[in-house]
Amino acid sequence: MLRGAEIFLQCLRAEDVDLVFGYPGGAIMPLYDALEGSGIRHVLTRHEQGAVFAAEGHARATGKVGVAIATSGPGATNLVTGIADAKMDSVPLVCITGQVRSALIGTDAFQETDVFGLTLSLTKWSRLVKTIDEIPSAIAEAFYWAREGRPGPVVIDIPTDFLKAKMEFAGPVKFTPKPRMSDAATEAAFGDKLISLLQKAERPVALIGAGAKLSGAISQLRRLLDELNIPTFATVHGLGAVEPEAPYYLGMVGMHGTRAANMALHENDLLLVFGARLDDRVTGDPARFAPHSKIVHFEIDPAQLDRVRACELPIIGDLARTIPAVHKKVRGAKLPDWNAWRVVACGEDRAELDPRGLSQPTIRFLDELFGRLTQNSVVIADVGQHQMWAAQRYRSASPRGFITSGGLGAMGFALPAAVGVQLSKPDATVLCVSGGGGIQMNIQELATVRRLNLPIKMVIVDNKYLGMVRQWQQLFYQRNYAETDLSDNPDFVEIAKAYRINAVRVQEDVMREYPVTEDTADALERFLRSPEPELLVFDCAPEANVYPMVPAGAALSEMLFEEE
Amino acid sequence: MHAFHIHYRNTQGTLMRILTAVSRRGLDMPYVQACADGHDQRASLLLDVNTKQIGQLCRDWYAIVDVMDVRVATPTAEMLESATGLPNAHPPVSASAASKNVSAAMA
Repeated sequence: MLRGAEIFLQCLRAEDVDLVFGYPGGAIMPLYDALEGSGIRHVLTRHEQGAVFAAEGHARATGKVGVAIATSGPGATNLVTGIADAKMDSVPLVCITGQVRSALIGTDAFQETDVFGLTLSLTKWSRLVKTIDEIPSAIAEAFYWAREGRPGPVVIDIPTDFLKAKMEFAGPVKFTPKPRMSDAATEAAFGDKLISLLQKAERPVALIGAGAKLSGAISQLRRLLDELNIPTFATVHGLGAVEPEAPYYLGMVGMHGTRAANMALHENDLLLVFGARLDDRVTGDPARFAPHSKIVHFEIDPAQLDRVRACELPIIGDLARTIPAVHKKVRGAKLPDWNAWRVVACGEDRAELDPRGLSQPTIRFLDELFGRLTQNSVVIADVGQHQMWAAQRYRSASPRGFITSGGLGAMGFALPAAVGVQLSKPDATVLCVSGGGGIQMNIQELATVRRLNLPIKMVIVDNKYLGMVRQWQQLFYQRNYAETDLSDNPDFVEIAKAYRINAVRVQEDVMREYPVTEDTADALERFLRSPEPELLVFDCAPEANVYPMVPAGAALSEMLFEEE
Repeated sequence: MHAFHIHYRNTQGTLMRILTAVSRRGLDMPYVQACADGHDQRASLLLDVNTKQIGQLCRDWYAIVDVMDVRVATPTAEMLESATGLPNAHPPVSASAASKNVSAAMA
């Protein structure tokens, strides 16, 4: 006879789980009581939101399922932002929440919340366990759905009495879904039509999203793009999928994308979308998005099709299967010579950023840091101006090398996510870039960094404002900086020291010299190569802005540049 | 108006996920019926939606793991009648001290 908690943990091990993140509390105590000797390492964060973001960091860096554990009531509600984040960014995540004992459910018992109900619209699948017998099948099914198709979050809510109860345990089970009508396209169905569209196209382009990475089809995608040799750009989650040196690669597209990418996305007449949702940050005004374009959408999740505009050719299925099928067709087809279009789209007069923007000290600073990173490094960006600067300047061919909360845009994501990444990749340089606002949303995780002695390199770009909101206020609200002033920010260096973490402050003036002085270069090298956690506060000009910028509701061709 | 018939396995939360796909778009649901359909379950909804919304809803419903089939049809007369001919509302009201309910509760 085994306790429900022991069965639960054995089932987790059977799903290849060896690392979980969590925070204990009343209803989940039996699970914690059984942890020792289970073969599962538990990392205590200092807030449940830290746990779920750390689990996401682990999942995003490795492709494995992240696991976060919390107790009932407030523990569970604190997971909700992370669950929403995982839904938006297709992160495989299993959240385990303790629930009040089964006899009390529905009585508004102490620390009772309807976790099942409140996460329904954020999860792919969820289960309130109703008997101890259900534990093995619930876990097997949860992991299946977290991984299957478009990955996403699932929730298992388990009453505390089932964790304490005992039963005979025959071992973990496997979940096999019941078959349902498949809507995956077949090669015969889409191949000929795609070739026909390519043969008629004069200005084709390719847009790469997160799906390309999630499918694991990076090498196949790169080979296809090399063959097509058409202007190509990526969403923020597609960064790293394409070799940045590829002659056809134009960088990031969208609201703060490069001029070249946005112009090509606006002007093309055939848009090949590989695993991207085409959300509003990528399309600009949907009514004026890619006005001349026919869309071919490679997508595993049919729910993502036609959200902005009907696509000409939906190709539903795992990109690991559909891309090679397309490549085979492309190799055997006679396609037009798109050289003239490529010369226009990739030409020097469409430089990657407004040249005036490159002298901006924060961009220089990020360039100096990123230029010193090794190939296996991972950059985790929080949410705000620094995130977009980092995305603009990120140059790596590492598909899982740039991690951020893209769809949800959850401030406070970066630091706990970096914890999960560093634990998954102990030998990698993990660079966590936050702003003065976001860092304070999960600053308590400095304690986790210290406790585990994780050598994370933390940067706070501090402009004493909620910078991105302030930028919008400046540009679209007549400089009415309502409630975005953070000039009373605490001294982050002193805060880090209180957590026994080394910290330094760098003024942006050091980045006005080009090249940077030897002292500055040495300091950056020391920062990145230190075996200890390190924090660097970069004091940034209060009114520095991220450019180019496509204003909300504008077309991609209507980018704003510095001083316009 | 369009009628939607969604065939699903009656697992925890599946009906709510079907309805959430509608409610998140702020659409009114003048008619909803869920009933057994063989070993599984069928939800029928009446919605005033355009062609684009039909496509989006159908794809959202298909993305729910236990939804097996989605069909769009012309509304039946019964659906339309039910949607317009609602009986009088009975909002909850406080009972007076003399009411039978209170008397029964105090007994």
